[in-house]
Amino acid sequence: MEKRTLLVADSIDKRFGITHAVDNVSLTIDAGEIRGLIGENGSGKSTFSQMLCGIYSIGGGTFRLDGKELHVRNQVEANNEGIAIIVQEMGTLSGLTVAENIFLGHEEPFMHFGVKDARAMNKEGQRLLDEYGFGHIKAADMIDHYNFEDRKLVEIVKATYMKPKILVIDETTTALSQNGRLELYKIMDAIRADGRTVIFISHDLGEVLSHTDTVTVLRDGEYIDTVRSADMTEDDLKRLMVGREIGSAYYRTDYGEPISDEVVLTVENVSVPHEISNVSFQLHRGEILGFGGLSECGMHEVGKAIFAASWDRTGTVKLADGTEIDSITTAIRHSIAYASKDRDNESVILNESIRNNIVLPSIDDLASHGLLSGRKLTAFADKHATDMQTKMQSVNQFVSDLSGGNKQKVVLARWIGKGSNILVLDSPTRGIDVRVKQAIYALMADLRKQGKSIIMISEEIPELLGMADRILIMKDGVINGEFRRDPALSEEDLIAKMV
Amino acid sequence: MQKSTDKNHEPSKLGSFFASDTFKGLLPFIGLVVIVVAMNILTQGKILTPKRLRLLLSQVYYPMIVATGVFFVMTLGSIDFTEGSTLGLASIVISKLSFYSIPLAILGGILTGAAIGAINGFFHVKFKLQSFIITICTMYLFRGVCAYLTTETAVPASAAIKALDMNWLKITITVAVLLVAWFLFRFTRIGNDVKAVGSGETAARFSGVKTDRVKFLAFVAAGALTGVAAFVNVIKVGSITATAGNQLETQILIALVLGGLPITGGAKVRFSNIIVGTLMYTVLNNGLVMLGYESQTQQLIKGVIFLIFVALTIDRKALKVIK
Repeated sequence: MEKRTLLVADSIDKRFGITHAVDNVSLTIDAGEIRGLIGENGSGKSTFSQMLCGIYSIGGGTFRLDGKELHVRNQVEANNEGIAIIVQEMGTLSGLTVAENIFLGHEEPFMHFGVKDARAMNKEGQRLLDEYGFGHIKAADMIDHYNFEDRKLVEIVKATYMKPKILVIDETTTALSQNGRLELYKIMDAIRADGRTVIFISHDLGEVLSHTDTVTVLRDGEYIDTVRSADMTEDDLKRLMVGREIGSAYYRTDYGEPISDEVVLTVENVSVPHEISNVSFQLHRGEILGFGGLSECGMHEVGKAIFAASWDRTGTVKLADGTEIDSITTAIRHSIAYASKDRDNESVILNESIRNNIVLPSIDDLASHGLLSGRKLTAFADKHATDMQTKMQSVNQFVSDLSGGNKQKVVLARWIGKGSNILVLDSPTRGIDVRVKQAIYALMADLRKQGKSIIMISEEIPELLGMADRILIMKDGVINGEFRRDPALSEEDLIAKMV
Repeated sequence: MQKSTDKNHEPSKLGSFFASDTFKGLLPFIGLVVIVVAMNILTQGKILTPKRLRLLLSQVYYPMIVATGVFFVMTLGSIDFTEGSTLGLASIVISKLSFYSIPLAILGGILTGAAIGAINGFFHVKFKLQSFIITICTMYLFRGVCAYLTTETAVPASAAIKALDMNWLKITITVAVLLVAWFLFRFTRIGNDVKAVGSGETAARFSGVKTDRVKFLAFVAAGALTGVAAFVNVIKVGSITATAGNQLETQILIALVLGGLPITGGAKVRFSNIIVGTLMYTVLNNGLVMLGYESQTQQLIKGVIFLIFVALTIDRKALKVIK
C-alpha cells in the first residue's frame, strides 16, 4: 500500500506547573499503521495522546490530521474529527445501560423530537456487540452488571464503531484477560487493513513488538526515536526508554534449585462464595509460589483469603506452629504481608504521607509504653523508603503525588519494615515501568534468598515463568494445574490450564 | 541510595500559593484575626472590653469540650449530629442526680453521653450505615426523650452543683480535656489510626488498623465528652429546659470547619482546628448579637461565611482522587 501521512504532530508541548510533561514533540504517523508509543511512567506518552484526543488542552504546537489543523476542545469533538481513545482507567459510566454508554455523546440518531428511542438504541447497540463478537454482553443491561474486563470491551466498541481515523489505546491490555487481548489485537489488525491508524500505548514490550509496525519512544517528555518493530528486541526498546543498558538480569536466572521441605503456611479447603472453592496448597520456606489464571479465575481472592481480608471465608489458613489466621491483625502480627492488586484503594492511603503509610502496621513495635515519638517514626519510614530507593522529596510527601512504581515501593517498604516473612503480592508490577519492575524482581529474589516466602499472584505469564519456583494455575475458582520452575516451561503450557 | 528531588510538586507562583496546603493551614488563623479586628471596628471597640471578654470566655467552655470529641469523629470523615440532644439529656441526668451526689452526677452525665455515642457507633459499624443518617435519627430520638422529660416543667439542679459555677473550675476542666485529647491524638496510635481511617479506610484496614473499633470508640468519645460539657452547662444554667443544647451540633460543625478542619477528615486535620474554630465562632456569634442583627440575619451571615470556608478548605483530592 502506498504510504500516506495521516497525522503530523508539530512541536507539541505541555507543562503542568513546572513539570515539563511533553517537551516539543514532533512526529508523523502514516495511514494504515499500528504505531507503538512507549516510555517509562512519566515519559509523557499518555499526556501526548490525551492532548490529541481533546482530554487535555494543547500546551503548544499543532496537530494536523490529513493536512488540516485540529482544534478539538473535548473528546466528543475529537470523535467527530475521527479520533477516539480507550483510556487506562474505567472509561464507562455507572448507572447507564451498555447501549447508553456506547452512544454517549452521539445520541442524535436515536432522538425523535427530543425523546430518546431506547429500543432503537438497544437494538443498534446489540447489533454492534454481536458484530464484534461480544454477544455475551447485552446492550439493554446496566453497565454495572459487568466486570472490569467486559466494561473495557464495551469501551472498545464505543471507541471504534464510528470507524475513527486514529484509535488511541492507552494501557488497556492490563485490564484484559488473554481472550480479551486477542479480541483487541484482531480489532487493531482490522483497523490497519482498512487503511486507518492505531496508536498503541503499553508497558508490555513483548506485546508492543509483536503487534505494531513502528514504535516511538519518549523519555522525560522528549521524543527519542521512532523505530521499526521488526528490527527490535525487547532489550533494544528498554535501552531506548531508560537511556542506558538495563542489564540482562531482569528475571531470576537460576534453575534447578530445590524447594525447601519446610512448610511455612498451609491453606486447607479455603472457599469464598462466588470466588474460590476448596483451595488447598502449602507454601515452603524460601519459595516464590506463583498464581496464574484469567483475571476472573479467583486467584486474586486467594491472596485476600490468606490475609483474612475476605468477607465470607471458610476453611483454614495455618502457620507452621499451628496458628490459625482468622483476622487481618492476626495475619500481620504473625508476619504475613499483603499488597493488593488495587493499589490505590487497598494498599496505600493516598491522602496520607509516605511516613504514615510506612509506619502503619509497625506502629505498636515503634511505640514505647504506648507512646509514639514523631522523630522515631520519621527515621523508621525514611530508612525503609530510602532502602527501596523511593523517588520522593521527603517522607512527608503525600502518596497521591507518587507514580505507580513509587507507590508500590512504599507498600513494599511498609512490609519490609515490618519484617514480614510471608509476603502475598498481588500483581506486584501492574502498571509499573521497566526500571522499577527490575528493582522489584531483584528485591523478590533477595527476599527469597533470605528465606522469606512469597506468593506472587500475576496476570503476566512471563513474570510467573521468570520468577516463581512453583506455579499454580487457577480456573473458575479452583486450582487447575501445578508446574515446577523449568526453562522448558512455555507460556502455552500455562495458558492451556487457564482456559 | 538515591533520594532524588522530584521537582513536580513545588508550587512556584503566587497563584498556587493560595491553593497550597500552607495557605489552607494558615487560613483559620488569618480568619480569626480578621473576624476579631472586624468585630472590634464594627462594635467600636466594645467587644474587647474586659466585661465582654469574660462573657465571651464563659461561652467558649462547653462548645470547646464538645468540639474536642466531635473532632475525632470528623477526622474519621464521619459526622455526628447528636451533640445537641446528648447535651440536653445528659444535663437532665446530671441535674436529677445532683441531689444525691455530685461525683455520681458527673459520672451519670458522662455515661449517658457515652451510651448515646455507643448506640451511634454500633449502628455505624455493625450495619454499615452512614453516620450522617444514623445520627440524624438518634438526634430526633433523644430530642424527643428530652422534650418528654421536660414537658411538665424545667428540670432543676441542686444548689450544691450550682455553687460550683466558678470560672477557674470551668477553665480547668476545659484545659484538662484539651490536654488529654491532644496527648492521645499526638503521642499514641489513636491519632494515627483515626487519621488513617479518614484518609483511606480500606487501605488502613489492610495495614492492620482495627477500623471498626476505632470508629466505635470515636463516637463513644464524642458522646462522653458531650457528657462532660453537660456538667459545665448545668453548673452555669442551673435548670434544664426542652431547648437545652438546641442546634449545638450545627454550631460545632461550623466551628470546626471555620477552624480549618476539612469535612472529609483524614491526614490534613490539625488539633488547633478545635481551638481556633471555637474561638472564631464565639467571637462571630457575639459580634453579630452586639451589632443588633436579628437572628434571621445572623443565621444568613453565618451561613455565607460557612459556605466560603468550606469551599476554601475542602480537600478536593479526598472527594475524588485525581491523578
